[in-house]
Parts: sequence; C-alpha cells; structure tokens
Amino acid sequence: MNRWGEKAVYALSVISCMMLFGSVATLLCYLLIKGLPALNLGLIFGSTPVGDALLLKRQVFDGIFPAMAGTLALILLAITIAVPLGLLAGIYMAEYSGRFTRNVFGFLFDLLSGIPSIVVGLFGFSAILFLHHHVSEALVPSLLVSALSLAFLVLPYIVKTTQMALETVPRQTRVTGLALGATKLQNIVFCLIPESFSTILGGIILAVGRCAEDTAVIMLTGAVASAGLPNSLFKGFEALPFYIYYISSQYADQAELNQGFGACIVLLLICATLFILAAIIQRKVKHTLLYRH
Amino acid sequence: MTPPKIKIESLDFYYNNHQILSNINETIPENAITSIIGPSGAGKSTFLSLFNRLWETTPGARVEGRVLARFHHSFMDINTPKFSVTQLRRAVGMVFQMPNPLPMSIFNNVAFPLKLAGIKEKEAVQNRVTAAIKACGLWPEVKDRLEKKATTLSGGQQQRLCMARALVMEPEILLLDEPTSSLDPRSGAMIEELMVDLKQRCTLIMVSHQPDQVEKIADHIIDFTPGPES
Repeated sequence: MNRWGEKAVYALSVISCMMLFGSVATLLCYLLIKGLPALNLGLIFGSTPVGDALLLKRQVFDGIFPAMAGTLALILLAITIAVPLGLLAGIYMAEYSGRFTRNVFGFLFDLLSGIPSIVVGLFGFSAILFLHHHVSEALVPSLLVSALSLAFLVLPYIVKTTQMALETVPRQTRVTGLALGATKLQNIVFCLIPESFSTILGGIILAVGRCAEDTAVIMLTGAVASAGLPNSLFKGFEALPFYIYYISSQYADQAELNQGFGACIVLLLICATLFILAAIIQRKVKHTLLYRH
Repeated sequence: MTPPKIKIESLDFYYNNHQILSNINETIPENAITSIIGPSGAGKSTFLSLFNRLWETTPGARVEGRVLARFHHSFMDINTPKFSVTQLRRAVGMVFQMPNPLPMSIFNNVAFPLKLAGIKEKEAVQNRVTAAIKACGLWPEVKDRLEKKATTLSGGQQQRLCMARALVMEPEILLLDEPTSSLDPRSGAMIEELMVDLKQRCTLIMVSHQPDQVEKIADHIIDFTPGPES
C-alpha cells in the first residue's frame, strides 16, 4: 500500500478509537452528573436504618437495596448454571466432537446467540406457564426461572469463547503435554485450559455483564417492582435493570428519575466489582495451578 | 554395534492420500545416538513421531507396517491398539526443536510428567526433579529460583530444562527433533555433551541438520536423502 494509504488507515483507526472512547466517556459523565446527587444511603436503604437493613432486621421498602441483592443473586445463580454447562460444551466442541457434530452444533450455538433476549424471555414465560397449568400450581415466574432463562441466553457466549480459546492453542503447546505422557483429559485440564484461561474468563465476564443488564428476560420470567430481599428461588424478585426500566417509564418527578440514574451507577459499580473479582480469582487460580509446589 | 532397541519393518506413512514414507526398514541400536539426516520435507520429523505415536495427533495421518520396540526384554509392536499410548509416551521422552516449557514454574515443569503419571509422594518428586535438573547440568543455574517462571530462562537453559523434563520419567528412549538448531553454539555444545552422557542410560534418536554435529556425536545414521532413482 502506498504512503497515503498507510497514513489514512492509521488516522481512521485512531479516529475510531477516539469516537468510541468519547462515547463511553460522555455516557459515564452524563450518568455521573445526573445520578451522583441522588447517590446516597437514602437511595439504597430508603428510610430504614442502614444497620437494621444489613442485618435483615427490617425490610427496605423505599430503597434499591432489595433490587441490588436481587440482581446479585440473579447473576450468581445464572452464572453458576451457565459456566459449568458452557465450559463442558465448549470442551466437547473443541476437543471431542467430530466434524459433522461440530458444524451442526456450531450452527445451533450461533443461532442461539442471535436470538433476541425478549424471545428467550417469552420462551421462559411460556414454559413456566405450561408447568404451572400442567405440573404444579406452585410453579410461577420466579428467581429460578429468570436465572435459567438468563443462563440459556448467555450459554452461547461461554461455549463459543471456550471452544475458540481451546482451538487456537498453538499446536506446539497442544502436543507438549501429550508428548510427556498426558492423557487426553489431563492435557485438557493441565495444559490447554490454563493456557486459554484468560480468554475463557473474557467470555464469562461478557456473560456476567449480560446477566446484569438484561431486562427483557427477567421482566417476563420473575422480576417484580416490589418483593423485598430475595429469600426463595421460587418467588418473584427485584432487580436493578427492571427498577431502572420501571422508574424511567413511570417517574412522577425529576427527583424520582434521578434515582433511576443513581441506580444505573450502582449497577455499573456492581458489574465493575464482579469484573475485578473475576480478575483476582483468575490470578489466584492460575497461581495455584501453575506455580505452587 | 549394540543390540537393537527398535526395529522398523516395511513401514509406510500417509497423510490423507499423500504418502510421506514408503517401505522403511531400519534398526535402531540401543544405548547409542542414531541421527536422522536428509533434506527438508523428506519426512524426518514424521519418522521421529513414529516412536511416541505423536503422529496420531495429526488429523488424516495413517501408518502401515510395524514398529517393534524392546521394553522388558521382548519386542512389541507399539502400534497395536492394546499398547497404551500414554504408557509409551512415558517411556519415550521427546525434546522439540523450539524449547517448549509450560507456563509454570521451573520446578513444576520438571515435575509435570510425574504429576501426569500420578506420582505424588513429595520427597520422591523432589528427589527425582532435582536429579533430572542436575543430570542436565542446570542445577547451579536454577537451584535458587525453582519457583520462578520457566520462561524467564534463556533459550539454552530452557532447552536443557525441557531435557530434564523429558528425563524425569527415566525414559528408555529419547527423541530429539533438531534440539540445538534454535540455540547459540555454546548452548548447543552443552546439549551435545549431555546427549553423549545420556547414551549410558537411554537410546537416543535425533533429527539433525548440522553435518558437523552428526559426525561428532552420532553412532548410527539413517539417511533420508532421496536416491538417484527417485
């Protein structure tokens, strides 16, 4: 390519990055300006004393504390369901499947990752409705149904990243363990997964983000405006994205809307905390796996 | 010449429909260095991969004929399905062209094959790892930093670490695929000396591109240079 071509591509790539950075910065600044004034203990705990709320002595009715707990419970539950399934499916796809199954399953997982979340939500809703009518009256939209639906939604990310991470391990590394007498499973567990751990974790982080923000799925499968702290898998629950949606569609005054912005910041902080936690876990696990003797 | 350790009988190797090796008949002597020479693409590395069945990891690869190796006094065909490939690879060590330490500590790299084989007893692991590192002349250089990442070592040190890792299982056969070609001359010379020392306890098979190296240390040569008729 000629000199101008080189320069143009460089300039365009820099501009693209700047635009992206600019958008993110604008978004964050806007959220902070709107939300910071509303961000205080009152937003989280309402009129309930903080100590009492944290020790679960008294219910919080006019704060987002139950929604925060609900979102956290939802993420943990959905990820706990999705990660083992996704990892194992990804390992199967990369290491054990034949060409035909890999193509068919790969296509299905691609299809699944393209399904809009509202469709997944509708499916979860229909499924629980069917079970409610035909199996037990006690089965209603609940935390568990939401978590299962969300797990279903994020499963393709985890499967795909696991599969890609394992498939892109260089051949040299792939045969190192085998040449030292590793069985197929030992090679996967001790060589291939540690090698691709960071990439796999990237997929999990993406999934955590998706679980934290998705509103369409939980709206149909169990999230409600007021439920208190989540105390059962089989009951409705509060969640931050639903709270934000709810408040921004029916706020009475500016102060209430600002509470929605405050909740946005809290949601971002929860995500950030989970990401940092994931990075720490990654380091710890890697260290224990590879450097302890 | 010492008694044979491996006998290859009318062996053909195919990659999909492409024949790489045809009708090979060779004998590899015990406790000696056998060097495989020939131009690039003649199938030297493929030939080496026959002895630990690493060729099986390449999709589309296929072998016909027999590779008989003598473990415990009698010759056995290592390609028969009942011969455990894992057991085989624990008895046949391999060192690659590029040093390939795993992304873990120096100690854990050498202890890795023991872990794979289920040897857990701490003292035994400690002793065997130490012995293997000492055998490769690496001990004085690494004894104070065994818990450090193996990739912090120099290329020559990494290659000797890989040899230590291959030796920790006390293999009867050691395969080396151009073990010195990525190293500086001094490190290369150290590896060569080490190979000569190792003859006492293993059978070594080495692919080499360096004529002076072959002349200096090889006891037996298998030449893959195509004859005038082909």
